[in-house]
Amino acid sequence: MQSPAPVPRLWHFAVEYLLLLPLGAAIALLWVNTAPESYFRATFSLSFLVNDVAMVLFFGWVMKEVAEATAPDGMLSHWRRVLLPLAGAVGAALLPAVLFLALAPYLDEPRLSEGWPVVLVSDVAFGYFLVRLIFGRHPVVAWFVLATVCANAIGVAALAASGATGTLRPDLLCGLMAAALASALIFRRFGVVSFWPYVVVGGGLSWSALYLGGLTPALALVPIVPFLPHAPRDPGFFVDAAPDARDTLNRFELWCRHPAQAALFLFGLVNGGVPLQVLYWTVWTIPLLGFLAKPIGLIVGVALAVPLGLILPRRIGVPELAVVGLIASIGFTGALFFATASVGPGPTLSTLKMSALLTVLGAPAALVAAAALRVGRFGR
Amino acid sequence: MTRIAITVILLGMLTALPGARTVLLPNGTGSLKLAVIGDNGTGDPPQLETASQMVAMHRQFPFGLVLMMGDNFYGSQKPADLERKFARPYRGLLELGVVFRAALGNHDDISTIRYAPIGMDGRRYYSHAHGNVRFFVLDTNVLDADQLTWADAAMQQATEDWRIAYFPHPLYGNAGRHGSNLDVRVLLEPLLLKHGIQVVLSGHDHVYERLTPQKGIHYFVVGSGGQLRRGDLRRADTTAAGFDQDRAFMLAEIAGDDFHFQTVARDGTTVDSGRIRRFPNRLTTAR
Repeated sequence: MQSPAPVPRLWHFAVEYLLLLPLGAAIALLWVNTAPESYFRATFSLSFLVNDVAMVLFFGWVMKEVAEATAPDGMLSHWRRVLLPLAGAVGAALLPAVLFLALAPYLDEPRLSEGWPVVLVSDVAFGYFLVRLIFGRHPVVAWFVLATVCANAIGVAALAASGATGTLRPDLLCGLMAAALASALIFRRFGVVSFWPYVVVGGGLSWSALYLGGLTPALALVPIVPFLPHAPRDPGFFVDAAPDARDTLNRFELWCRHPAQAALFLFGLVNGGVPLQVLYWTVWTIPLLGFLAKPIGLIVGVALAVPLGLILPRRIGVPELAVVGLIASIGFTGALFFATASVGPGPTLSTLKMSALLTVLGAPAALVAAAALRVGRFGR
Repeated sequence: MTRIAITVILLGMLTALPGARTVLLPNGTGSLKLAVIGDNGTGDPPQLETASQMVAMHRQFPFGLVLMMGDNFYGSQKPADLERKFARPYRGLLELGVVFRAALGNHDDISTIRYAPIGMDGRRYYSHAHGNVRFFVLDTNVLDADQLTWADAAMQQATEDWRIAYFPHPLYGNAGRHGSNLDVRVLLEPLLLKHGIQVVLSGHDHVYERLTPQKGIHYFVVGSGGQLRRGDLRRADTTAAGFDQDRAFMLAEIAGDDFHFQTVARDGTTVDSGRIRRFPNRLTTAR
């Protein structure tokens, strides 16, 4: 597997993509723990606009990276490239989920089990930054990206299947989504180059399908963005579109990048405020399960797939997979989102959100593990 | 000598009984008589003793209804546990035909909504009425949009004079461990005010506390039916009465425009009592 083509300077990437949500969450934590009632009043009134409308742009932007990766030489350009990371992702998702559901009755807070999709997801952007920090230009970087994209796709499917967000209306969901996809397909077939029809018509129908169908509408652009015509080659994961890019997908990214970043900041602000009094031992369950079970699940998933003829790329072995698994345990953005999508407001959600925030401790854990196992930069 | 012996024996019998019990409620005919417990499901001796005290009080004050504030069961909740933590302690009341209607606490497994003796009928949130009293039982662990919509409609449709809500997480409270749940307050208080709810009962904190009326609503925390956090109450200006030294339960009688209450400790002593008079709430339409 080839290393990604020009990647953004890492610290530029960190500033562009990684500071906004933590900044919003930090402000939220300070606010809720000093003036809680005003925080809840402000954020409850904003939660629909931020979580169900503004975040459409963020997930659309993330989906742009995935869609672009299907171009020739992109990470997702051939299905064979995806299979082994998919196997690892299934293991990394399944093992913590099964353990969490098995342990939930003994947690003394059984209601937490309603947030089980939280354990499935990984923060792709945060994880990408960390894996690049540890491994540099190592084949495991692309492997990690593929695995986390697959894991998050599994999480989205699980969230949809659980009907967590409310009363499911399959009739409205399927009917409207079919209309959304049909519109996007028609625009594509007729060579529509402006992204606006895809976003407004296709995205609007998709949003309605998810909202009225009882699922989280923030994912509205996820099924639509792949229809946007894109450049013939993938410039690389998280590589910004050139300002003079002409293809529809990159024009979309140029338009939505800054609003998506603003959405990320607001998401951190609206959802990151968790009263410190929820710091009870139960909040550690999800992070600790992630730290332990994701690396094991990832390794087991790969180990079960290799005998089927799938080949692990050179320079990727069990130590590298263990560190990648620890990085994948960082749920953060994705975990926060899944928590709010799984469970309505209240103390149970507060506990899940605190758990989501605490998964960021997977970062120092991964660094320590990388040093101990002498992988990546620590191996020289 | 014989007279002294008889007096001593009688005194001994009185003290051997579960505490000196005095019912301070009107105990009239035609009124709704009920008891309130919360955070009771431990299965341990203090819960059983508190339950015995309830049976003893029932002999004088025959309440027909028990409201449970949640955390009806702690720890393992297999069928044998439900028997040990509920059916056995409250067998005396169950055999007398007392009906239990529970709310779901954060320690309760969701499957317990189907445990028939606690009267949830498979629902996380529901309402029930007795004469001119309507109770709204909410699941404050997860205040999803469907529940809030249901509550708004149910409260709007209520025609009873008394509207009482109960749920585990107190909107107002001064216990050290949890206290006021502000996220729940921001979501629920507007609804309660809009629909003229007069009394709110909660648990979650393992103390007893009666709050001063907040925006016209009377709040009680009744969370020491089995669990107890001794000394956890941080009395404040909003504390009208409190008790955190032993388990306790509340008796109540609703007659006409009056809500009488009496809170009884495990040993039978009264730790709080009073009366709330119902006034038509100016925030509601005429009823």
